[in-house]
Amino acid sequence: MQVMPEKRNTRQYMSTVRREPQEMTPEHLGQLLAEVAKSRSRIAFGELFRHFAPRLQSFATRQFGNEQTAMDLVQETMTNVWHKAHLFSPEKGSPTTWIFTIARNIRFDILRKNKHRQNDVSAEDLWPVLSEEMSDSDEEFALDKNILLQEIGEYYLQLPDAQREVVEQIYIEGKSQQEVSDTLGIPLGTVKSRTRLALQKLRELISEQN
Amino acid sequence: MSKIKFHPSEELLVNYVSGQLNAALAVVVGTHLDMCPRCRSVVHDIEVHLATRELHQTSPMAEPELAAMLESILASEAPMVAPKSAPEENIILESKSFKVPPSLGRHASRMGPWSKMPGGLWRAPLELNADERMHLIYMQENASVPEHTHRGSEATLVLDGVFSDEHDEYRDGDFIFLDATQQHTPHTTDESCLTLAFLDAPLHFTSGVARLLNPFSSLFFR
Ligand SMILES: [Zn+2]
Repeated sequence: MQVMPEKRNTRQYMSTVRREPQEMTPEHLGQLLAEVAKSRSRIAFGELFRHFAPRLQSFATRQFGNEQTAMDLVQETMTNVWHKAHLFSPEKGSPTTWIFTIARNIRFDILRKNKHRQNDVSAEDLWPVLSEEMSDSDEEFALDKNILLQEIGEYYLQLPDAQREVVEQIYIEGKSQQEVSDTLGIPLGTVKSRTRLALQKLRELISEQN
Repeated sequence: MSKIKFHPSEELLVNYVSGQLNAALAVVVGTHLDMCPRCRSVVHDIEVHLATRELHQTSPMAEPELAAMLESILASEAPMVAPKSAPEENIILESKSFKVPPSLGRHASRMGPWSKMPGGLWRAPLELNADERMHLIYMQENASVPEHTHRGSEATLVLDGVFSDEHDEYRDGDFIFLDATQQHTPHTTDESCLTLAFLDAPLHFTSGVARLLNPFSSLFFR
């Protein structure tokens, strides 16, 4: 407890130095995202937030002409960055580009929400940025996505505890397998195998019932 | 896969990336992107360019506001995302099955029933909502669409097969965009063709017996 605040201060000092625009290289921003993804670093996220929030605010104010709606876009975009940093991959582009595409999608959804259409498309249907299907190339997991929430129904309650926990987090809370691994403190491979076993069991249970 | 000859204009791709297109047209463009590595790379460049330009300026935000927003984000629950089913891979017409790219397959559940039209054509609506829709159009061998003009623009993407008009021949992945001033007469010869078409106004038939279809063109094509 003695060491932590000191470390924090150093980082905060460094982050004020780094806040100079020319220091915010794509590499540095990418490192911050990686820290958020890997260790949920609040300090790294703070630095990202202070870099991007005023830029997103400026973008959104130009788009909406309304400061409150603009703030909503900033908050929603950065909330996704905080929770979905693991979906960023440097091979696909720079952090600025990735965050811009998230903001573009949120803008689209905000504009359409005002039209109150039923069963409308969402931006993710058109430009999947945050969908796990884009980042997870694991074949088995892709197969597993064929199981819909409504198909799972109550059946998952009959699973062994360890499997039920994983299924709940993925299919009900919408977490990625990586997030489940972080939350439960178990290896990613274990999450994958539990998901696989659970879905196998679910398929059996469902076909027994029908 | 054969080489794609016809691509969306850069202006259309910019509007696609910035989210300004009619959503149905965005699906047609997105489906082309799934089929076209060249345009995927153009889109990537546009994203980089727009991101740099749009996120360059900063708006001053008051420190207490910033701190409060940061706190509330750090305390937030992960956004709930209902797991999406994998995109449909095939579209079925009678005994035929067509493999379609994910950008179209994601909307397959919104597809309406096929209806047969005169001239060897089949059509199924795909409605995103009351204002935004497109059609799958299947032209069997030796079929033709009557000559027509468009009051609005028309975008056609070849999903499978080949069709021709008086200007050229179009194959898998080709994207054809016509504005209201252009007219054409699509037809097939010994190969059939499945296309995805977006119209922002009903067709207006200009020749022969097909003119009689005009009062109904909204039923046929919208
Ligand atoms: Zn192209």
